[in-house]
Amino acid sequence: MRGKRVSSASIAQGLNRFLEDDRHLLLAFEKDARGVNLRAFKGKVEGLSLFNPVFSSNSALYVRRMFAKGTEIVLMLRPCEIRAYVELQKLSQMEREGIVAVSVDCFGAVSSKDEATEAPREAQAEKGLFRDFTHGRFACMTCRERRGVVGDAGVRVDKEGGLWLCPYTEKGEGFASLFEGETGETEAEMLPEGASPPEAEQFNTDMAAFSQDFSKCILCKNCKAMCPVCYCVDCLFNGDDYLPKGDALLNKVLRAGSTDLPQGKELFHLIRMFHVSQTCVGCGACEEACPQGIPLTRYFKGISERLQGLFSYLPGRSLDETLPYVTFLEEELKDAED
Amino acid sequence: MTAEKVEQNPEIIGFACSYCTFKASEMAGSLRMKYPEGVKLIQVPCSSRVDPAFIIKAIMDGADGVFVAGCHPGDCHFIKGNYFTRRKVAALKEMFDAFGMKERLRLFWVSAAEARRFVDKVTAMYNEIKELKNAGKTG
Repeated sequence: MRGKRVSSASIAQGLNRFLEDDRHLLLAFEKDARGVNLRAFKGKVEGLSLFNPVFSSNSALYVRRMFAKGTEIVLMLRPCEIRAYVELQKLSQMEREGIVAVSVDCFGAVSSKDEATEAPREAQAEKGLFRDFTHGRFACMTCRERRGVVGDAGVRVDKEGGLWLCPYTEKGEGFASLFEGETGETEAEMLPEGASPPEAEQFNTDMAAFSQDFSKCILCKNCKAMCPVCYCVDCLFNGDDYLPKGDALLNKVLRAGSTDLPQGKELFHLIRMFHVSQTCVGCGACEEACPQGIPLTRYFKGISERLQGLFSYLPGRSLDETLPYVTFLEEELKDAED
Repeated sequence: MTAEKVEQNPEIIGFACSYCTFKASEMAGSLRMKYPEGVKLIQVPCSSRVDPAFIIKAIMDGADGVFVAGCHPGDCHFIKGNYFTRRKVAALKEMFDAFGMKERLRLFWVSAAEARRFVDKVTAMYNEIKELKNAGKTG
């Protein structure tokens, strides 16, 4: 892979050059006394952190429905966030031209909820983190693509800890020209391991276990709100059709008999599970947002990997791949028919 | 109370394409063919109108089985609707498989002329689901 050898200093320098234009913005992580947080930079960049050891939400959420023309926005985020961004692009949920997506090699993260663990707040310390990563989030432990190989360009880390900037598209080439550094050939093996194949054992469960796990659900719909790819403005679950409340609930109970409350926990999660099945990047933002500690990632990721496997689809891999549900082959799935 | 176990009849919801399967069911009626009364048909303009959410809702609200029926591949009134149906239903079947209830969802291709095929498919499904239900395998 062709890339440019850069350093933290030359990245900051290049980004500052980019931000001189006041129509240019940068969405990246910032490190300060409070820890590492997401920040939209304008004008100049200070305290930039390429890595973020704590996962709180998927940052692609904040670029959804960003249709402003004339601005140039650079995203320097984790691979899972860039993959969600690519999926949102496919779904026409944002401006296509003005955004340059740069994925940065990821070494996994700890949960923002996990206060018991000594989350390494030092971003630099993170490089060696994944090796003995016992407190990691479930989603990160089972991540299928933690290399910065998605989007327009990637920031890669080689085995010695040196940084490389690799452009993948024309937009990425333009972005890479901002930075000083010698161009060269990167090693085939970088620090994060390659894409891991889907689990050999397919995810399997049953309705009893599912009911048990989701019985704590209070239907706050935080998982829906924080999911980067759950994008419908007019959601199916707004209104009384699927999740009846008040009089609609009363009528339903009178008609159909006794029911668990809140009504429709399983319905809500099963339908959402199907609706995000092809676009789910498995980032675990839903679990992060759940106040009840339901193991959402296990189910959503397990199911979506099975369903994506059906069409050999990896969400966010490339903008040229079409979403499986909006395309078809004439000769396929012969065994689907009964 | 009664020692004898009462046999339960399943409820099956069918989403039938108005251009083919629904016509076939009407033809079955006019030919006086019989199919089980637990089968409730819902007419849809095309089988691809069926959002998998409908199927999940039907199952969670008490249906013992659901089938989606449309025209044979290539014969869709809207040219390619049933190819999308096939992808969606195949994916939903995979999901149901993970939850151990694969047998509760079926996909049929029945053209407007195939009244006999419609009755056979629906009756076979009804009997299988009935067996499962009485063995306590469905909710």
